[in-house]
Amino acid sequence: MALAILLLTWLAPTAARAERVLVFAAASLNAPLAEIARAHERKTGNRVRISFAASSGLARQIDNGAPADLYVSANMVWINWLQARGKIIVASKSTLAGNRLVMIAPKGSATAMDNFSGSAVMRLLKGQRLAIADPGHVPAGIYARQALSALGSWRLISKHLAPSVNVRAALALVERGAAPLGIVYASDAFNNEAVDVIHRFASASHMPIQYIAAAVAGNGGRAADDFLSELTNGRSKQVFKKYHFSRD
Amino acid sequence: MLQLDIRHRTGAFMLDAEFETPSGTITAIFGQSGAGKTTLINMIAGLIKPSDGTIVSDGHTLFHSEKSINVAPERRRIGYVFQEGRLFPHMDVRRNLGYGHRQNAVLGFAQIVDLLDLGALLERRPATLSGGERQRVAIGRALLSNPNLLLMDEPLASIDVQRRSEILPFIERLRDELGMTIVYVSHAVEEVIRLADTMVILSGGQVAATGGVEELMSRLDLFPLTGRFEAGAVLAATCQGYDTEYGLAELSFAGGTLRVAGPEMDIGVQVRVHIRARDVSLMLGRPEMTSVLNVFEGTVVEIAETDSPQVDVRLDIGSPLIARITKKSMHDLNIRIGVTLHALVKAVAIDRRSLKGSTASTSPRD
Amino acid sequence: MWALSAIETEAIGLSLKVAFWAVLVSLPLGVFAAWVLARRRFYGHALLNGIIHLPLVLPPVVLGYLLLVLLGRQGPLGALLFDTFGITVAFTWKGAAIASGVMAFPLLVRAIRLSYENVDERLEAAARTLGAGRIKVFRTITLPLIAPGILAGAILAFARSLGEFGATITFVSNIPGETRTLPLAIFSAVQSPGGEDAAIRLVVISAAIALAALIASEFLARRLGPKG
Repeated sequence: MALAILLLTWLAPTAARAERVLVFAAASLNAPLAEIARAHERKTGNRVRISFAASSGLARQIDNGAPADLYVSANMVWINWLQARGKIIVASKSTLAGNRLVMIAPKGSATAMDNFSGSAVMRLLKGQRLAIADPGHVPAGIYARQALSALGSWRLISKHLAPSVNVRAALALVERGAAPLGIVYASDAFNNEAVDVIHRFASASHMPIQYIAAAVAGNGGRAADDFLSELTNGRSKQVFKKYHFSRD
Repeated sequence: MLQLDIRHRTGAFMLDAEFETPSGTITAIFGQSGAGKTTLINMIAGLIKPSDGTIVSDGHTLFHSEKSINVAPERRRIGYVFQEGRLFPHMDVRRNLGYGHRQNAVLGFAQIVDLLDLGALLERRPATLSGGERQRVAIGRALLSNPNLLLMDEPLASIDVQRRSEILPFIERLRDELGMTIVYVSHAVEEVIRLADTMVILSGGQVAATGGVEELMSRLDLFPLTGRFEAGAVLAATCQGYDTEYGLAELSFAGGTLRVAGPEMDIGVQVRVHIRARDVSLMLGRPEMTSVLNVFEGTVVEIAETDSPQVDVRLDIGSPLIARITKKSMHDLNIRIGVTLHALVKAVAIDRRSLKGSTASTSPRD
Repeated sequence: MWALSAIETEAIGLSLKVAFWAVLVSLPLGVFAAWVLARRRFYGHALLNGIIHLPLVLPPVVLGYLLLVLLGRQGPLGALLFDTFGITVAFTWKGAAIASGVMAFPLLVRAIRLSYENVDERLEAAARTLGAGRIKVFRTITLPLIAPGILAGAILAFARSLGEFGATITFVSNIPGETRTLPLAIFSAVQSPGGEDAAIRLVVISAAIALAALIASEFLARRLGPKG
């Protein structure tokens, strides 16, 4: 008898109507996406699960059939790559937010920079290495490379890099003081007690940092579409801005 | 000369021993399993540290608990032949022998190889040797380290009975030809009687008796420790003649002459003779027309009664002699201390011969 | 398809160098640790055993992070090394060797400890009575008898070091020519679009080296096993 009641509760209509959405998202979007997702869950009763990792790794997983409903990339490159393989619904592509690139140093390491230049950076490094996301394949690293090339200092500085698996790991190196300088997103440095921002790279010095969302072909459904709409509405734009995911 | 005075506690077991062993002799440490024999010689070797006491060898203090002296085993100059041999498996016999070799004029490599007949074994590996061969190598290895004292822990225990008689003579030669002082642990009375000059009887961690083998073996009170079945007088005798017609050796000892059947023996050979109590009968009158060759007259000096139907009677025939008879006979014949009677010795075991004679062990019966 | 590019050759060479040094430096420490665990009884024995085995059960990234905390420029040991000797290990192949060495250490100790336990201590006692001091006993008796275990353990540790990824990338990051060992190179290749061919080449080479090492270790362990 008790078992029957248990079973009925489990199969209750409200539970049956709750759908689940699986999102693969770039690691850097952790904070804003989590906030947006929680609000969405409370509003609709749907469950939103987000897997945060490097855009490249996620793209490959989706290519290999991962059951993600939505993909949010920190870089156009991987969206295009998936599109070429027919893995995303082209019409669903939407730009969610932007970002700025900054150079950071451990808090209180007293690195004032009047004139930002390659040689100034080298001086500040003092023979150690610059923490950066891997410029070979991680979007944050690719942007950083572009920005440094625009500065004319890529050849010089590229020999003194400590390439990390993702931008959060690069951030962690600077937070720990293991690296005297690092290049990360403004959103990473925002509200971080352990680092100081010593330079904001001009947006023009690199390809525009865009966070693009798309629905994955073959998966999804109404709940996924709902969440995608949520991600592009005005409320979400405010959330992104709050966390410094904007071009300003 | 080894002087030992130690106490050692492990758990509930307390070892308390004090004795001296004269130089150039074989001293047997005798007792049942668990009496503490191996622990004792491990202490002499320095492998175990006693709780308390002193160990002195030829005037050198090896251990002194109060003065905090404890000489490391490698500096004690004490050779040790282990029960299992413990040859190094990754070395051939030659390298095993040479492992602890110290240069010394008396104990040269070739000499030892000769003495122990190891020539054919030198290139072999320990795993391919028989038990007896392994023990000979172990003895050789210990000797080549030029020790002042040699410890042997039941070296014949893991060797079958036939092979044991191959090795016993080698051990005797160590004392006789090399003047080695040997401490020999054993729980086998026959080995002790064959080899040892003095013995220390250990029982439950305590020294029950020390003294000459002949003296201790003849003590009735020690029979429970030395083994009732083999108990009996052990006597020194000298060969004074050999009857070639009947094949009888005539051995003279303190109590008279023993005539024993056996192989030819040279005059002057000194032997140790073991007369088991169970092989001695008593008679009040003088026996006549009997097949027993060895009859001695003596006085009863001690009687030991036990729970069994038999009693041990110790006689003085000029030398101690022990007979085992039934309680009934004792009462029927009214045998008491002071009574004079005749002892008939039915079998004599000649358990040791010096190198001047043959080296076989015989136990002839008349 | 099978021609190796310069990047790939560099990764192979670096891997071999890192693994070699990792094992070489861990060996004396491993022999000592195995001796302590096999032969000594003391309070904290189980704790020491547990600590030595931590790299087997903790996530490699965690260990990499611990190494960073300790040996980074700001870390207690790292600062000491730099101030006293001018040595930096973070972001260098030396750091990669340390990461590999730490991860492979439990395997090394296990193999050697097993060997120790197969050595009859009574043989060592016999050697002492023959005039050998503790060092000579170790050199002439113990060491030859545990040598097969040491060799097998070293090869196993070598194979493990070749495959070390998580701790390495966390501690010394992925610097081409300096810390980009085979596993990291494979990772990078997989991350880049169009890097599949390079990835497969490197995977095959990695697997071949590791397999050869494991077979050699097994073969040696059996062939030089307990004697007599």
